[in-house]
Amino acid sequence: MIRRPAVVLLALLLSACGRSEPDDGKVHVRFLAAPDVGGFAKAIIERLEKDHPGVKVDMIEGPAAGDARENMYSTAFMGKEDSYDLAYVDVAWVPKFAAQGWLMPLDALIPPKELGEFLPGDLEGSRYEGKLYRLPVQSDGGMLYYRKDLLAEKGLPVPRTWEELVAAAKKTRTPEVAGFVFQGKQYEGLVCVFMELVWGFGGDLLDPGGAVRIDEAPAVAALTALVDGIHADKIIPQAVLTYQEEETRNAFQEGRAVFMRNWPYAWNLMQKEGSRVRGKIGIVPMVAGPGGKPAATLGGWGFAVSAFSRRPKEAFLVAEYFASAESQKLAFLKGGILPSRKALYADPEVLKAAPHMKALGRVLAGARPRPTHPRWPRMSDALQMHVSAALSRQESPAEALRAAAVEIRAAAAR
Amino acid sequence: MRDHSRAGAVNWLYAAPAMLVMAVVGLLPIGYTFGLAGEYHRLALDTRFWPVVRTTLSLTAVTVALELVLGLAVALVLWSPFPGRGLARAAVLIPWALPTAVMAMAWRWIFNADSGVMGDLLFRLGLVASPQVPWLADATSAFWAIVLADVWKTTPFMAVLLMSGLAAIPDELYEAAALDGAGPVRRFLVVTLPLLKPTIVVAVIFRAIQTFGLFDLVFVLTGGGPGGRTQTIAVYAYDVVFRYQELAYGCALVVAMALCLVLMTGLMLGAARGGSGR
Repeated sequence: MIRRPAVVLLALLLSACGRSEPDDGKVHVRFLAAPDVGGFAKAIIERLEKDHPGVKVDMIEGPAAGDARENMYSTAFMGKEDSYDLAYVDVAWVPKFAAQGWLMPLDALIPPKELGEFLPGDLEGSRYEGKLYRLPVQSDGGMLYYRKDLLAEKGLPVPRTWEELVAAAKKTRTPEVAGFVFQGKQYEGLVCVFMELVWGFGGDLLDPGGAVRIDEAPAVAALTALVDGIHADKIIPQAVLTYQEEETRNAFQEGRAVFMRNWPYAWNLMQKEGSRVRGKIGIVPMVAGPGGKPAATLGGWGFAVSAFSRRPKEAFLVAEYFASAESQKLAFLKGGILPSRKALYADPEVLKAAPHMKALGRVLAGARPRPTHPRWPRMSDALQMHVSAALSRQESPAEALRAAAVEIRAAAAR
Repeated sequence: MRDHSRAGAVNWLYAAPAMLVMAVVGLLPIGYTFGLAGEYHRLALDTRFWPVVRTTLSLTAVTVALELVLGLAVALVLWSPFPGRGLARAAVLIPWALPTAVMAMAWRWIFNADSGVMGDLLFRLGLVASPQVPWLADATSAFWAIVLADVWKTTPFMAVLLMSGLAAIPDELYEAAALDGAGPVRRFLVVTLPLLKPTIVVAVIFRAIQTFGLFDLVFVLTGGGPGGRTQTIAVYAYDVVFRYQELAYGCALVVAMALCLVLMTGLMLGAARGGSGR
């Protein structure tokens, strides 16, 4: 008889020391992902394993928080471990991971013609120094949600400029209903919101030549607009400084705001039965400032092949399978996952299930990735901190962006 | 004498496993950190370094001072006998026993801008105009929110440490002081406080070291915001190592942090010794 605790302990030790998987004659491809809510990933894996009997996909459902998964990937890759053959990566992680040499370039594996079928922003965000490191699977971009019913009540058109947004918010707000809510906490989400406005006001953070332009007039005007929105126009509640995505959605869904900036995921949740704003909402690209065009910050996920994987061929096969039009359609219909392929936004079956996909396709076609710089996390933190300082009136908009620019230039120069 | 040295050897043998574990989980990583640390010159150029040191120091000073006062009061109350004292002592320890991250989530709800209990409570008391108070949206109130949460959690620890000091004070001294006509306040000032001082010094140093390394509470409650005004050194070092992947500089930050602690502890010990007239 073997004593049970000893066996458990031994198994734990072994599993901590290295990768062990059943000897079933199949090539195991492993990756870490968010919890598979709705089961669409499992459905795709099931199909894949039927089509490719020699491959077994081990999806590890990790924490729901993206930065926790980013750390898990980073820790494994820092130790040059082959724990994961694929990495399911956020667009913002691509430069950092690629610069460290953790990912395999994929250019040789995929025909250029096929690449043309993906949304341009998703593709741009998958590249680092000209090389492709990721196959986009899921697109994401920020947009403006509005309350159709409240605008109609006052006979107001859907605002297309910041000025119109402020005017419409002033006319529709009440003591209980705020004008505009967004993700204003000091974190990555704040930079996403802010960059949409900076682009919308005709500014930029890093231009293609690598020059830092965040302290220029358009960016200052964009930040001034947000600060005034809170403290002068009072269309934005001060509480947004504590809001991430869910706090923002809750405020809007409970009818406490006329306009909201959020990601597409909020749509399905707000259109569910029992939602107070069901059938009363619309989406448009974010408003622009004087001299700018509406812009969206690109989010989105995709598969990258680990440079430490011992089965890169099978890993790429899995990535390609997930990125295929059939899989993406399944993921959308079953899990509301937005496709990264252009054609699906005009697909009759998709549009029948979700007519708003047409408007969404327009938003995502113009979505721009955040700068692909290996030191982006440090740059983003500098920007987060000073934008947050301006929103809480510790610094004036011009001061805040000047300080952020100094820190971002220092990070870029190192 | 042979027996004596033999006993000594056996004692070392008994201690060896524990010391080995300490070496592996303590000394080894510390050694690694020193080995990996580099780019020290960046400490002087880093615009974030002094702000986070300042935040950490003020947080440490304020929370430890408040904990000392409250902890002493709690210790005195729990030391004097009253019915149900055992239960009260156990109850007081609950905040200390909770995992900080879990407790920080609870505080995040308490300070929630839209539906937080804190705003509602003060509104009912007529102290604020609206129950919706964005506590964590303002640098000053966010700082005090962290202080409140930390004091709530660690005062029991302070109280327990101080109670051990109270236990060491002989009752005869109080009796003698009472015979000499000293009232409760005077007895506290001439007997309790001077005799408790060594324990106070230890407790304050303990807590100062812990608060100086505060990470989880800040990470969960404010994430260092707004405007980076609640970011502590530990939170910053985490960002530098894990998010910016600057391992050498991150370790340099940790080494600088350790030096700060050594300096701080030295100063406190020096002050304690100087105050007692050698």
